[in-house]
Amino acid sequence: MPNTHSMSNIHLRIRRQDRPDSRPYWHEFAVQSHDEHNVLSLLMAVRADPVTISGERVEPVVWEHNCMEEVCGACAMLINGRPRPACSALVAELRQPIVLEPLPKFPVVRDLLVDRRRIDQGLTRVKAWIRIDGVWDTHAGAPRIGPDEWAANYLYSRCMSCGCCMAACPQFGENRDFLGPAPLAQVRLMNAHPTGRYDKSARLHAIMAEGGLSDCGNAQNCVRVCPKEIPLTTAIGELGRQTTLQALMDLFGAG
Amino acid sequence: MSASIANSHFILRRLHSLLGLLPVGAFLIFHLWENSQSRFGAEHYNERVVAALQEMNYLILLEIFVIALPLLLHAGYGVVIMTQMSAEPLRYPYTRHSLYWLQRLSGLGILLFLLVHVGMTRLLGIWDPTVAADLFSHMQSLLVQPWMLTVYVVGLLLSVFHLANGLATMAIVWGVTASARAQRLFGWFCVLLGLLLAALGLHGLMGFLP
Amino acid sequence: MTTPRVIVVGGGLGGLWATLRIADAGFAVTLFSLFEVKRSHSVCAQGGINAVLDTKGQYDSIEQHIIDTIKGGEYLANQPPVKSLCEDAPGLIRTFERMGVTFSRTPEGLLDQRLFGGVKNKRTCFAGASTGQQLLYGVDQQVRAYASAGKVVKHEWWEFLSLLRDGEGVCRGIIAMDLKSLEVRAFPADAVVMASGGMGQIYAPKTTTSTNSTGAAASRCYQQGAWFANAEFFQFHPTAMIGHDKTRLMSEAARGEGGRIWVPKDPGDTRPPKTIPESDRFYFLESFFPAYGNTVARDEAARAIWHVTRRMGLGIGGGDRVYLDLTHLERGFVSTRLGAILEIYRKFAGVDPIAEPMEIFPAAHYGMGGLWVDFERSAAGGLLAGSPRNHATNLPGLYACGECDYAYHGANRLGANSLLSASYSGRVAGEAVVSYLQGLAPGRRELSQASVAAEVAQQAAINTALMRADGPESPYRLHQELGELMTAKVGVVRTNPDLESALTELDVLQARLRNASLGESSTWMNQGLAYARQLNDMIELAKVIAASALARDECRGAHYKPDCAIPLPDGKFPGDPEFEEYRARWHANNRQWLKTTIAEYAPTGPRLSDQEVDLSLFPPREPRDYR
Ligand SMILES: Cc1cc2nc3c(=O)[nH]c(=O)nc-3n(C[C@H](O)[C@H](O)[C@H](O)COP(=O)(O)OP(=O)(O)OC[C@H]3O[C@@H](n4cnc5c(N)ncnc54)[C@H](O)[C@@H]3O)c2cc1C
Ligand code: HEM
Ligand code: HEM
Ligand code: SF4
Ligand code: F3S
Ligand code: FES
Repeated sequence: MPNTHSMSNIHLRIRRQDRPDSRPYWHEFAVQSHDEHNVLSLLMAVRADPVTISGERVEPVVWEHNCMEEVCGACAMLINGRPRPACSALVAELRQPIVLEPLPKFPVVRDLLVDRRRIDQGLTRVKAWIRIDGVWDTHAGAPRIGPDEWAANYLYSRCMSCGCCMAACPQFGENRDFLGPAPLAQVRLMNAHPTGRYDKSARLHAIMAEGGLSDCGNAQNCVRVCPKEIPLTTAIGELGRQTTLQALMDLFGAG
Repeated sequence: MSASIANSHFILRRLHSLLGLLPVGAFLIFHLWENSQSRFGAEHYNERVVAALQEMNYLILLEIFVIALPLLLHAGYGVVIMTQMSAEPLRYPYTRHSLYWLQRLSGLGILLFLLVHVGMTRLLGIWDPTVAADLFSHMQSLLVQPWMLTVYVVGLLLSVFHLANGLATMAIVWGVTASARAQRLFGWFCVLLGLLLAALGLHGLMGFLP
Repeated sequence: MTTPRVIVVGGGLGGLWATLRIADAGFAVTLFSLFEVKRSHSVCAQGGINAVLDTKGQYDSIEQHIIDTIKGGEYLANQPPVKSLCEDAPGLIRTFERMGVTFSRTPEGLLDQRLFGGVKNKRTCFAGASTGQQLLYGVDQQVRAYASAGKVVKHEWWEFLSLLRDGEGVCRGIIAMDLKSLEVRAFPADAVVMASGGMGQIYAPKTTTSTNSTGAAASRCYQQGAWFANAEFFQFHPTAMIGHDKTRLMSEAARGEGGRIWVPKDPGDTRPPKTIPESDRFYFLESFFPAYGNTVARDEAARAIWHVTRRMGLGIGGGDRVYLDLTHLERGFVSTRLGAILEIYRKFAGVDPIAEPMEIFPAAHYGMGGLWVDFERSAAGGLLAGSPRNHATNLPGLYACGECDYAYHGANRLGANSLLSASYSGRVAGEAVVSYLQGLAPGRRELSQASVAAEVAQQAAINTALMRADGPESPYRLHQELGELMTAKVGVVRTNPDLESALTELDVLQARLRNASLGESSTWMNQGLAYARQLNDMIELAKVIAASALARDECRGAHYKPDCAIPLPDGKFPGDPEFEEYRARWHANNRQWLKTTIAEYAPTGPRLSDQEVDLSLFPPREPRDYR
């Protein structure tokens, strides 16, 4: 790998914004890079020497990163128009100039850094947790879970709250109610847990209110852009079934 | 029991969805079948098909409660739903995303088409009984004008698309298709249905042409 | 008296567990983190978490887990905490399971366990290959439930800067900075828990840790008088894929599931690895350590790779690389067991590791050292449950847990033991804080407003100075130099001349940092400012690492000085005179060096002393022997 690849000049176009309320503008950079670089390592190079193509020294670009291996969800941004984590975007696979913009639908804090509090709020709203008596040992584990059921659940447990799916969803937006796909998928996950089931109807009612499941318009961009390949639309379908039954139970008294 | 009733959001959305199929979708299918009878000539169409319908008891109640009201409700709430998008139409080239857009655009298109269409058929018929008496000739006189034929073909195709695609999303909404595979397979089924209905409708349109 | 308030700094496994335990007891917790807690470094842990469940018919026992941990750490860990850690592990796993953590399952629907480096029994619970992520989300969800009930307040995007202490030196809160507005503010509290994670970035980019694992927070406590213990022990993970921005971990699980490490016998061999016949391959771990083979402990594996590449010159193409090979395993099996980590390799190297052997090398991974913490021994020889001394630092009112403490791993950490220790220590620290708060004398005097204001002003002044500085140096470049220096001279293999020169160079780096300009003057979300501040604290810690390493003239665990090695006599076994002589030397060495290194801050450089290790359970009798 290292040293065996050639160096080349990478052309970057970055949308910048100084403050949440200020106007965005563009800067262009040229970065000497190995072709196995990823977008994050380019940004690091720019940060260390923020001189634009026209030779102007500017303030370092602000963005968020942490794990550098696509598991923390911090570094999501628009790369050539698609929302995706920057750390796993290999330069060699990208068209140039590489255009970087902040993740849409979330308020910009500065440059490529956005405020993704909405995800957390969504998770709170749908009660995305298993209610337990307390964090002490009760000398019993959870009931058994078969390997197949485990495999289906595990897919959803890998959501890293990066927000790519929300950014791509045409129903999700700054001034819209819609929770977005990621919190919905967590309802699917929690409802499948043997004890999480006890709060199933509370969670379903939470997603049957404004901004809930039925605000999804089945555009299915979410599942296409999710870097973790989380089957969001399957979750949406399964929740459709669960809410249908829940509504019937509500209406006809069984619940 | 109260939660989904106390908060009507969910019920409303599901009602919208349901209305799209029942009765509006069902009416469309029936309506296209009805009009495909045009092929058998003016007499058959006017006397066997239209007249048979017009002789039904309580027809006006049926028309109001099974056709007009559901359609208006579905369309009205459809417009409300459209105000809830926050979309960037061109960013994503995925098929389902395009269909999502077409569903909304076709809804608007149908609305415009219906204003013209219902105005020139059912409403005009109230105004001018000769129209209602010989719908076949009336339709013929409309459809011989190329631009009007175009409006009808477009209106028809939009409606058929909207129903077929609506059926595919309905299956997800109601939880009939969950896995990606099921959604894909049912999607193909809907494509087939849409093609059939389009053929039926076009066939009917051509039947009016001299 | 109002209910006491507690501040927890850090939202990784350690911090979140402490938060939960304290909030459970009814105290208000304010949680500080540099970013959303869900993004904490704990998510990176792939392999698993140890707990003896004895479900694999191997007669595994908690006692064996204790012994493995103690021996793995070459006796440097105090034994009562280790005992309780291992005893409580199964209960901790059960609690995680109740929280909804998606642990992998056996066909019967029970928790599955697998083999991990350094032990012979299947003892590691795992959740696919993203165990840390799953564990962290488990506690994150519980904390979210508490937060939604108003019992926990999260201050995400706030950075801890310094401790607030009263006239008696008792810790009474913190000063923190809003990373967006750069506002510096005091947060009074009755106790503070540090759970700020590891410090691998001192070796950047040759580290497997997240970019926020700087150790800066712990360093700030150290600079305010908290002791820093065993800093010289830094684990280098043997299998990391080499990268420009970061060396990414290839989990030990890859070896646990049957991966083999080898190099071509001829370093000049240019054939594609798959076409090199068995006879031309050198499976050096299997040949050096026949009993353990590829699952030998990390430090041994890292040094073996270092030896094969640097000493024998057998690295692939003569460079710093060896193969980690999974290609002989069944594809389906490998994908289900190691899916997530293989995806990482595929994603970042663009090569399918099931089809082609991976290229790896050791990288800085885990600092065993950290803030010194106390414990109270129970009659049974473990930790006394609920003692306010457990996990208390030497500063009253300040507790530490998770990777930023030094407590459980001695000279070397066993794979999959640190998710356990981070969680467990968080829980214990939480319980200790509760006891501490319950024992506080009522009617303590409030902090003097003037002293708080002075501390805030001092921290703000550091910011102003950094913003004004206008020298030629760039903090980003200086960080690179720090990493290169530490990797080269305070790395896998150490010599005293190297360490001495490292110490001098660190002083020079620090002086140059004072002369650096941030290149930005924004008063909103100024990342350069936070970066430069952290870098200074990292250099401070780097000095502790280098000085502690210089002082320890022996080989123990991850700390390796070839000049001080006491080699096992080749082919000799207990009973042979050569072996007995070796055993005697080993005992003598322990008498001299089996001590905790304690570093205290002084402006001129760390002041070192040592402390006896509590060996009350398993005194060292037998040298470690992996043959
Ligand atoms: C790549 C990798 C793989 C690993 N795999 C395993 C494994 O398989 N098994 C195992 O047992 N262990 C593993 N480990 C080790 C384990 O992941 C860590 O030891 C453990 O997660 C540390 O948890 P923590 O809570 O102490 O810290 P972290 O999870 O690092 O959390 C630190 C927290 O402190 C906060 N913080 C830091 N500084 C400040 C400040 N100044 N102000 C405010 N907040 C601050 C951060 O925001 C963060 O929330 C692995 C480590 C690495 C690097
Ligand atoms: C294929 C081409 C079509 C033809 C030839 C056609 C023909 C007609 C005719 C003749 C009428 C008058 C019926 C009456 O007065 O009793 C009518 C009514 C109506 N058509 Fe169509 N139509 C076509 C397509 C459509 C489409 C695509 C829609 C969309 C939904 C539609 C919706 C309606 C409605 C709502 C009415 C009023 C129904 C009522 O209340 O009686 N039509 N159409
Ligand atoms: C021929 C008449 C019509 C038929 C047969 C029809 C049918 C349907 C069906 C079956 C659906 C799917 C519902 C779901 O996914 O749950 C649907 C959705 C929709 N319809 Fe219609 N519809 C008609 C007219 C209209 C009109 C006139 C409008 C608006 C102007 C409209 C707007 C919408 C919208 C916006 C949706 C998408 C709802 C969502 O995805 O959430 N429709 N329609
Ligand atoms: S579902 Fe996928 S895209 Fe959405 S937040 Fe989770 S990981 Fe990101
Ligand atoms: S993109 Fe949005 S509309 Fe639904 S299917 Fe996905 S949440
Ligand atoms: S840095 Fe963590 S996902 Fe990219």
